Amino acid sequence: MLVLHGIWDRSRFHLWAESSALPAEVKPSRGRASKKKTRPHPFAVPIEMLTDEMATIFGMNPSGAEPIICKLPATKRGPLPSPWLIREDRIDQEPSGLSPWRIDSLAFDPDSALDTLLDLPVHPPPGIAFASSLRLWIVAARLSLEMIAREQFAPVAKEGKARWRPIIDEDDQSRLQTLAKALPPTCLAFEEESSSRKRPGRGGPKPLQLVTSFIDETTDAFVRRSLIAEGIDLEPKLGGRPTKTAPLPHQFLRALAGEDPELKAAVPELNAFYKKIDRWLSSLKPPFPDAPFRTCFRLDSPPATGDGDDESWHLRIFFQAKDDKSLLVPAEEVWKARSETATFLKRKIHNPQEQLLADLGTASRISPQIERCLMAACPAELELETQEAYRFLRESAPLLEQNGFGVLLPSWWERRGARLGLKLELIDLDEETEPDLQTSRGLFGLKSIVKYDLKLALGDSTLTEAELNDLINLKVPLVQVRGEWVELPPSEIETAIKFFEKRRREGGDTITLGEAIRLGLGAELAIEGDLTVLKVEARGRIRDMLKRLSGKGELETVDAPASFRGTLRPYQAKGLSWLSYLDQLGFGACLADDMGLGKTVELIAFLLHEQALGTRRPSLLICPMSVVGNWQRELDRFAPSLQVMVHHGADRLSEKNVGEEAKRHDLVITTYATAHRDEEALSAVSWENLVLDEAQNIKNPQAKQTKTAKRLKAAQRIALTGTPVENRLSELWSIMDFLNPGYLGPAKKFHETFALPIERYRDLDRAERLRRMTQPFILRRLKTDPAIIKDLPEKVESKVYYHLTPEQATLYGAVVEDMLAKIESSAGIDRRGQILAALTKLKQICNHPALFLQDGSPLEGRSGKLTRLEEMLDEVLSEGDKALIFTQFAGMGAMLRHHLQEKLGCEVLFLHGGTPKGGRDAMIERFQSEEGGPPLFVLSLKAGGFGLNLTAANRVFHFDRWWNPAVENQATDRAFRIGQRKNVFVHKFVCLGTLEDRIDKMIEEKKELAEAVVGAGEAWLTELSTEDLREVLALSRDAIEGDDR
Amino acid sequence: MMPGYWGYYEPRSPKEVEDGIKAKSRRGAIGEKWWSKRWVALLESFKMGARLGRGRSYARKGQVISIDVRKGVVRSKVQGARSKPYDLEIRLTQISDDDWKKAIEAMASKAVFAAKLLSGEMPKDIEEAFVDAGCSLFPGKKDIKTNCSCPDWADPCKHIAAVYYIMAEKFDEDPFLLFKLRGRTKDEIIEALRESRASTMPQDQVEAVETVPPDLDRGPLEERLDQFWESGDDLDLVAPRPRPPEVPGAVLKRLGDAPISIDGANLASYLPKAYEVAGRAARDMAAKNGSRDLT
Repeated sequence: MLVLHGIWDRSRFHLWAESSALPAEVKPSRGRASKKKTRPHPFAVPIEMLTDEMATIFGMNPSGAEPIICKLPATKRGPLPSPWLIREDRIDQEPSGLSPWRIDSLAFDPDSALDTLLDLPVHPPPGIAFASSLRLWIVAARLSLEMIAREQFAPVAKEGKARWRPIIDEDDQSRLQTLAKALPPTCLAFEEESSSRKRPGRGGPKPLQLVTSFIDETTDAFVRRSLIAEGIDLEPKLGGRPTKTAPLPHQFLRALAGEDPELKAAVPELNAFYKKIDRWLSSLKPPFPDAPFRTCFRLDSPPATGDGDDESWHLRIFFQAKDDKSLLVPAEEVWKARSETATFLKRKIHNPQEQLLADLGTASRISPQIERCLMAACPAELELETQEAYRFLRESAPLLEQNGFGVLLPSWWERRGARLGLKLELIDLDEETEPDLQTSRGLFGLKSIVKYDLKLALGDSTLTEAELNDLINLKVPLVQVRGEWVELPPSEIETAIKFFEKRRREGGDTITLGEAIRLGLGAELAIEGDLTVLKVEARGRIRDMLKRLSGKGELETVDAPASFRGTLRPYQAKGLSWLSYLDQLGFGACLADDMGLGKTVELIAFLLHEQALGTRRPSLLICPMSVVGNWQRELDRFAPSLQVMVHHGADRLSEKNVGEEAKRHDLVITTYATAHRDEEALSAVSWENLVLDEAQNIKNPQAKQTKTAKRLKAAQRIALTGTPVENRLSELWSIMDFLNPGYLGPAKKFHETFALPIERYRDLDRAERLRRMTQPFILRRLKTDPAIIKDLPEKVESKVYYHLTPEQATLYGAVVEDMLAKIESSAGIDRRGQILAALTKLKQICNHPALFLQDGSPLEGRSGKLTRLEEMLDEVLSEGDKALIFTQFAGMGAMLRHHLQEKLGCEVLFLHGGTPKGGRDAMIERFQSEEGGPPLFVLSLKAGGFGLNLTAANRVFHFDRWWNPAVENQATDRAFRIGQRKNVFVHKFVCLGTLEDRIDKMIEEKKELAEAVVGAGEAWLTELSTEDLREVLALSRDAIEGDDR
Repeated sequence: MMPGYWGYYEPRSPKEVEDGIKAKSRRGAIGEKWWSKRWVALLESFKMGARLGRGRSYARKGQVISIDVRKGVVRSKVQGARSKPYDLEIRLTQISDDDWKKAIEAMASKAVFAAKLLSGEMPKDIEEAFVDAGCSLFPGKKDIKTNCSCPDWADPCKHIAAVYYIMAEKFDEDPFLLFKLRGRTKDEIIEALRESRASTMPQDQVEAVETVPPDLDRGPLEERLDQFWESGDDLDLVAPRPRPPEVPGAVLKRLGDAPISIDGANLASYLPKAYEVAGRAARDMAAKNGSRDLT
């Protein structure tokens, strides 16, 4: 894995990376020469590799490569890895101090630095982590971009150069401070190379300086580049004067829009020029920064008399206390002060009148309205006409505010909700139009047609055409409608008039139900020119539907059908009701409950419910291969009445038979890969339900399996997923596009309107809008919801069923045959020994062939159990949980630790019999620590199965089984004990068709008996007859997973 | 015609001055603000011919060694071609106390006068305040008496012109200087204005509240090894959001005219395009970047 770090050295941005694949320690140095030179960082990625990696992964375009020298926490043996770097050989050591390291880095000029940082993906690709130093500079780059987008920059002349600099107002300043405070020490730890830039006695860069210099340099680079790119020439034609002697103002304009920022003139001339520019720019600084008060303007709207005659607005002048903005001193009081120093509201101020006067002078330059009040001797307020008030609101107020004045505006203006828009009245479904495809049982479907009516809305009221016509004649875009002030720009009135004209011509309208829901749930959409739908009102069935969909109305309770063998927990019953309500409406549904809450059971109950209603068409379930077995087993257990067909593996039905056979079943289970391969055959079937399990598998819209899933036709589509879809918006889009095609619009548009603003720029409004729009189609219950906790036992145990890979099956079969042959000819202790040895081997094979073979071969894709564990742990991590993983084989533990670290990119602890006590205590402490800490802990059953307190974990995995419930429970109790504040989920792996499966069944069936028989160990197995042993150990056909290639 | 009779003619260039007071303007007119221009116009009304240009170049070269502005008088030393600098004096008629009183009363009646003056500008209609007093703030020809120790018979000579120009730049920066030359210092005027505005109000003396700016320097890196890599949660609070400006062209509107003009137009008038182009480029970039998020 790679961890990327960022360094800004005041002029260039450097990117460097740590790698887990490089040695952790420096080679012991020989000779004296190496002592003088700074040693190279042993696991920093060398430049060629870094260039290649970054070009392939991110398409980066660095300006150069240069080594930097950074001081990092280190021991004598080498630098310590950053917390994100997961190293196999990681030893938790206290650093002995800081020492300098030479580090290869990619260097970026301010211009390309901005591009690079802004273009990095929000979520780093697997195998890569962004260190906080890089994250910090990404945020800084976004801040630069914001400053330029807001046009908050100005030209400065300094040190022989013309530059663009951001204008930092009060709010920006506090954000810069926040950024500077968040600056991790690593960002300061570089050594400034050239001694010229080193400021003696300053002790390295200061956070605020560093952050400011980044914003400064990137702003200049960006503005300059965009001017060059568009060929903008600010400078007027010189009329043939040679460049060298161009007057400074000309040079200044040229230097601002070109590559070369240099200004060339004699020093005194330059100084005089700087001074003039500085004086000009000084009006951007807030006046009287040290005074306890600032001048403040408050605009009061005329009382809402409604007759519209006495429309005089008042602009009042105050001193506003800077430390408590609610404290206002009227200007009248200030004018009364006679001496040089006065005290208002317990705050002392020097020359108050002069400050007020000077402020008014400055303010009058910005706002021409204010100049008028200066005609009085002691101005305290000013009457404005509506027209002037409007100009003040629109233009002066923001400018005054930016200049550091206080501005208080009427609350209706700040709310700004009261504007002209449309009110959409959804009348009812148009019964005459064709309903959505195949919603035989459904009510409508997103494509059905809804009749609607549009009204012109202003704030809370609607306007008639006559009222609108009265407004046309107003010259001021500020009007009082039924006692409420509203801004009404002429362009909007014009659009509104056109709107009425069009309605007269064309009559009533219809839209699709999907559109209506989107509008009804708060998508802001201009559907008539510039007019926005502000409000949606629905009647009849549609109103009920919107209410239910937005979670405000009660859903009709659907009981689990009699054919369901089991009991649904209350929230599971709710899930069933929800699935069936969306099904009735013909809307695709995404069930996204946390792992372990029982999505599988809810779906099975839903399938049975449909069967009970008389559905005759089969459903198709697509899932990853690793959970096929689990589905089979759960369907067996809860829904024996369902005819289930598994379509997958090399011996699956030929394409031409699939369709026919499918129709004889209620449910066909297939994998993503098979579904794609047999798409043609599968699409010949008209499916009742198309269900995707682990639906994050279609997160990539370009992937073949995604396209297949979207092409298959079904009356209803359902997605199951345990990963929080709302966190990755492209994934959310893809799943929604499967469920309700078109509802969220095209991917590109969605990216621009939602993904980009929300993920990169934390646009909370849009996030909320998206949440409202998608919430009806996603049911996501967290195991931490109080309502869920109430329904859940404190300990939830479940089995995880999986298949052997063909390799595992071959090995397994061989071991069984070998043992049976041997015990034929042996008895007593020898026989028992043979049996126990074989048991151990079989367990090893079920875990992983590499554990049995002891050959150090690669692990990937060779064990059904390991694959499933990885998938489940991925969900555990995405839910922010911590987990314990128990195994009885220390060798397996070591393999798990290594493999999981690499695959999941998080630190995994491993406790085994050989761990010294000190190491053990340190691990437990780190695991238990509240914040962060490694989330996964692998323990050998013998070393970690008792005594320890590991309540930070709320998930326990029994990777292999100790056929003794007491021992397993004791291990589970490491997490499930006093101090545990969450529900504990216990997952036990059972390999279908193997000894794991049979023994598990025996224990389940005769629990009491088993406990009596089993005792403390597994010796009871050795007492079985050879026949019984064959029964228990032999591999049944369904044990093997098909070939998924 | 004999040189030295029709016009004093100095063939040599003047002696160089170290640290002379130099006009900041290198080309064109000296004095950017309207009140300074009016002062220069007064000088130019004396019809000095070539002396005017020489005076301007003296001002630019830094021949003016010192300037002392007192009530009613400017005293100055200017280096000419001779070894010893010339002493010169520009005297203005002071406005009488009575007239000042009337003018200040008139100024106090409208806040605009003090407001503009205190924010560094000469109110456009300042003369209004002096009309009632029957006088003028801006001196006329008759209000000026100049005197230079140079041998040039002409008055004003180029040395006086040079000082005029330097004064024009001083007026640019501080309009109150003009008041001083007419008999009242800035403090006197402010005081008088305040007196004339104010009635009484009770005073209670309370200590002002002082705030200490946060110190970001959290000590040497060596002492921060335990959180060497961490950035803390506050990073999320910065939440940059590229968006259009609230008021288009806000910065230029707040800045107003620069004290620099190019080809007769103000510097600021050449800049709107830069804001438009760069602002749009940034907003476009914010709307487009991160295409990699799509897959």
